[in-house]
Amino acid sequence: MPDWEAVVEQHLAGLALEPAEIADVIAELAAHLAETYEGLRRQGVPEGIAARQAMLEVPDWKALRLRICAAKKMEDEMPNRIRQMWFPSLLTMTLSSGLLMVLQKNGLHPRIVTWNGLDSIFFYVPWLLTLPLSGALGAYISARAGGSTRAMLFSGVFPVLAMLACFFLVLPFSLVIDRNVAFHFKMQGLLSGLIGWVLVPGVALLLGALPIQILHARQMDSQRVPTA
Amino acid sequence: MIGPGIKRGTAELAVLSVLEEGPLHGYELARRIEQQTKGALRFTLAALYPMLYRMEQRGWIRGSWETSQQGRRRRCYRLTAAGKMKLSPLRKEWSELFSALRRLTKVSHA
Repeated sequence: MPDWEAVVEQHLAGLALEPAEIADVIAELAAHLAETYEGLRRQGVPEGIAARQAMLEVPDWKALRLRICAAKKMEDEMPNRIRQMWFPSLLTMTLSSGLLMVLQKNGLHPRIVTWNGLDSIFFYVPWLLTLPLSGALGAYISARAGGSTRAMLFSGVFPVLAMLACFFLVLPFSLVIDRNVAFHFKMQGLLSGLIGWVLVPGVALLLGALPIQILHARQMDSQRVPTA
Repeated sequence: MIGPGIKRGTAELAVLSVLEEGPLHGYELARRIEQQTKGALRFTLAALYPMLYRMEQRGWIRGSWETSQQGRRRRCYRLTAAGKMKLSPLRKEWSELFSALRRLTKVSHA
């Protein structure tokens, strides 16, 4: 029979409660798993399968850890979304736009690239080089708050998602208001803007967020215990 | 789709109703609910304990450690006075909801 207390203790590592409370939670959950396992064994289920089936009682240990903390501290589930997604997203946004403002105030000029058939594209190269840091920070804060892969990546690239939304909100107005400008010029401007403000910064942010997500996923995998 | 508020409400009603019959520890509680609902309601460990802890924080139930005949320590939950007081309006609320849904279904099928 697996050492259920050791299994639960390992999976609940980092539970943000008082040591005595943690010990109680571990003992209680371990007793539940042990009884589930014994119940299956009484039904004639082989040891390895019974252990694996008992472990299915908890599909996501990280989520359980957070829900236990929230329940013990009487937190609602809604702030979890704020902590895991919106707060890190706004942090990434503030950091990236703040850095751009600081660099511009210190005399940073964009590198202007002109491609055939497109408007000039502005690249603030030093700023782009700082973006992986912003993306990584957003993903890290989300991971620390127990964010899912989606929440981590969303937090990491949030500034370009906001920018993308702005572009598509502005486009219909521009089509209606600026009737003097030909449609294809507007589309060229849009495409240039998307490359300079969404695509390239998005890749830079993702370069920071993705390694954090991969490292976090590996860390979570290493915490899983073989149950056979 | 049944929202999380509704799911939580039914789960709390189920736990309070079963504990009204007598104190139980988590595993027994989950099995009892499963048996009494003929498998329609099933609580996994991951669903049950955060809810029990939340209900305990609200003062509806109280857990205390007991040692079983096999020498295993288990936390037994019992309904508190506040829990009993909560159960009655909760039952009424759900009964009203089900009645309303029944009425609605009759109307829509008429």
